[in-house]
Amino acid sequence: MTRDLIHRWFAPVAIAILLLVPLTTNSYIQFIINQVIVYVIIAIGLNLLLGYAGQFAFAHAAMMGIGAYTAALLMHRLGVTFWIAVPAGGFAAAAIGSLGALPAMRMKRVYLALMTLAIAELIQWVLVHWKVVTLGTDGVKIPHEKFLWFTLASDYHKFYLILAAMAVLYVVARRLVESKFGRSLVAIRENEIVAQCNGISIAHTKAAVFAVSAFYAGIGGALFALVLGHIVPDGFGLFQLVVHFSIVVIGGLISMFGSVIGAVLLTTLPELLRGVRALQELIYGVLLMVFIIFMPGGIAGFAKQRGWLPDEILVRGWRALQARLKREGGS
Amino acid sequence: MTALLTAEGVTVNFGGLVAVNAVTLSVPAGAIHGVIGPNGAGKTTFFNAIAGLVAVAPGRIAFDGTDITGLPPYQRARLGIRRTFQAVQLIPQFTVLENVLVGLHHDIKENYLTSLFGWSGRSAAEEEAQERTLEVLRFLGLTDALFKRPRELSFAEQRFVEIARALVARPKLLLLDEPAAGLSPQEVAAINALLRRLRTEWGTTIVLVEHVLSLVLDVSDRVSVLDNGKLIAEGAPREVEADPRVRAVYIGEDHA
Amino acid sequence: MEIPLLLTASGLANGALYALVALGLVLVYKTQDVVQFGHGEVLMIGAFIGYSLLNYLGLPYPAAMLAAVLACGIMGFVLERIAFRPIAYHHHITLAMVTVGLSFALKGIARIPFGADIYTFPRLFPDTPTIVWGKLIVTPQHLVTIGVALALTIGLFVFFRSTTMGKQMRATQQNLTGASIIGINTGLIFSGTWALACAIGAVAGVLAAPDALLYPDMGARFLLKGFAAAVLGGFESVPGAIVGGLLIGLIDNFAGFYIDTAFQEISAYCIIILVLFVWPYGLFGRRPTHRV
Repeated sequence: MTRDLIHRWFAPVAIAILLLVPLTTNSYIQFIINQVIVYVIIAIGLNLLLGYAGQFAFAHAAMMGIGAYTAALLMHRLGVTFWIAVPAGGFAAAAIGSLGALPAMRMKRVYLALMTLAIAELIQWVLVHWKVVTLGTDGVKIPHEKFLWFTLASDYHKFYLILAAMAVLYVVARRLVESKFGRSLVAIRENEIVAQCNGISIAHTKAAVFAVSAFYAGIGGALFALVLGHIVPDGFGLFQLVVHFSIVVIGGLISMFGSVIGAVLLTTLPELLRGVRALQELIYGVLLMVFIIFMPGGIAGFAKQRGWLPDEILVRGWRALQARLKREGGS
Repeated sequence: MTALLTAEGVTVNFGGLVAVNAVTLSVPAGAIHGVIGPNGAGKTTFFNAIAGLVAVAPGRIAFDGTDITGLPPYQRARLGIRRTFQAVQLIPQFTVLENVLVGLHHDIKENYLTSLFGWSGRSAAEEEAQERTLEVLRFLGLTDALFKRPRELSFAEQRFVEIARALVARPKLLLLDEPAAGLSPQEVAAINALLRRLRTEWGTTIVLVEHVLSLVLDVSDRVSVLDNGKLIAEGAPREVEADPRVRAVYIGEDHA
Repeated sequence: MEIPLLLTASGLANGALYALVALGLVLVYKTQDVVQFGHGEVLMIGAFIGYSLLNYLGLPYPAAMLAAVLACGIMGFVLERIAFRPIAYHHHITLAMVTVGLSFALKGIARIPFGADIYTFPRLFPDTPTIVWGKLIVTPQHLVTIGVALALTIGLFVFFRSTTMGKQMRATQQNLTGASIIGINTGLIFSGTWALACAIGAVAGVLAAPDALLYPDMGARFLLKGFAAAVLGGFESVPGAIVGGLLIGLIDNFAGFYIDTAFQEISAYCIIILVLFVWPYGLFGRRPTHRV
């Protein structure tokens, strides 16, 4: 009974608390919270690809970079409003990311990693060297756009924008995985032959998940650009990717809760080790190894086993079904 | 009766090794057709050829009046060919409900966009699919397992869940790869009863690869015998059982 | 005529390094089906160990290098035993992800004492001038690199053909189940392969460092070149890795000179992408037989 209550009230209470957050924070803490929320979006995207679909691709940070640069350059150079620039970042990343499905369809699985690694590095190289467009290592500054009372100069204002985006994208991802799409992803991850023999088209499904995952990375990247106010190519390299990997692995693969938990923990962690690159690398690297070896389900997997987190079954309305069967069986 | 499945000279070649050699057979709609033969006779490869998992060259496979020789496996599945596997292939982290719903992938008429809409966690397409899942699980007597994961089930139950996944989309043709392997006599009897009920109540056409001869010979309308990739005999169970070539193959194996 | 000759000589020297990197990657991949994303950092660690032994302990040059190679071999052995053996049969993502973690952990370990500085790694023959044979000019470091790589390749060839351990390693690569059935201690083979791969990586590291300079991020470039070489060679073939490495070295030099020096920076990515799209089995790879 208490569990039902918690389940019913968790989301509204959490949203209410989140809405009140800016009242209690200073600008620095608000800045970090904004980053956490952006990383939730990015982690959900990576979890779809790496966790649910089991595709070991290395381009997520590069897709985030595509989204960030598309949005930032549209705003900085063409004066496009962020209302258009941010979605444009998402769609640009989705368009490029869906190309990642091409190698994923035809190649031996090791080659997917190598191919996407090469593409990611190439994208970063272009960001550095195509100075005419990308401004090279100087990076791009985001103009402080105003919209009625809303201004991109304020971390508090940005917070509500990012929070709304995250809420929508979280619900969308939940619905996607709780449909036949989500089930076909896990089916492909576990057994492509079983998937095919049950009428699932591997090619379509992979193309879709690469595109959706890159869309999340792109939107996340565009919002990341808004949060930081200034982006440089170096921000979207391999270190960024390891941060993403750590978030989804430590938070928990194949779990939406996992993406949230991972983003909260691992985005705040480097702030505690502020600026000590060596320690960050060491800790991310070691945590990644330790979790994969000893707790492959991540924190969410562990918590679900213990009953601290609800089960995540990829069927929409499964709770209602379970409750109904219990009533029928009990009567 | 018209043939639902026709294989004409089906040959499967693995880099020089001929696993299935010019096999021809025809299964009428509504029949149960047994395929037997010693280990390595090419039974499972023949199944894979029908399901589209291995390339057929030369040869031709027709299903329900259309040539499906060149179709990829997922399209054959959508046409109504479903199968089970010799070693049960369930998705370990999925509940029985999710595992069986995988079989309805193509039947859930919902796309990426429409799956996003609707309030309060309901979706008409998903609910209909859940009803169909419940229905097939009731038919198999597995309703209690709905929210269990494969590791919480007995081996026989896992096998039935896999059959449920193959059946849930109401396929025209069901390919069962050794459904009785590793089961107790009572469980084999349950399979036997299930196959008979499927034929009478659902009208499903079944092709059955099986080592447990008592089951095949009892339940099949016709039986084909493969040895070394070749079809060496075909006929009613009683004829096949009496066929000296078949006896030679089986006795040869038993005493090897 | 002299320019192509010059390009060939230094191209072969660089190529020999890439071949060694690719060799380590291919050995681990063939044995355990793991792509070692931390291999570049093994090379970097090897170079830093060599540098430390030389500079802080004052060991003689060859002894310091040998000790560095040995240390990396032991590191590989231990790493396999504690980090990879427990998860040897998990989903392939799991294993690859551990190597990604390893890569960053090693980088962090090197960065803590050595920081963001760039170190100059001494040469074996600092005082010998460049060697001029007619129109061919070769630096002694290049000669050392080519010589060591050649000796190592021959040594490995003999090792795989003639020693029990080498033969068992090849048997394990070809058929893991079969190898364990006939009584090969596959666990030992796994660890041994990692030790060998890491030792070869360290050799590449100490050979590369004098020209490439020494810093914690130096591994990434070599890893990508090694990947390109391995992909070109089909990823499952030892001769393929060596030929692939030499080819990458030559392509780099010629394209860098005749097209644009920027090409050297991106040649590895371009070759990986091109080969995988056009010719996915590489020069020496076998087309996988279809199975279910």
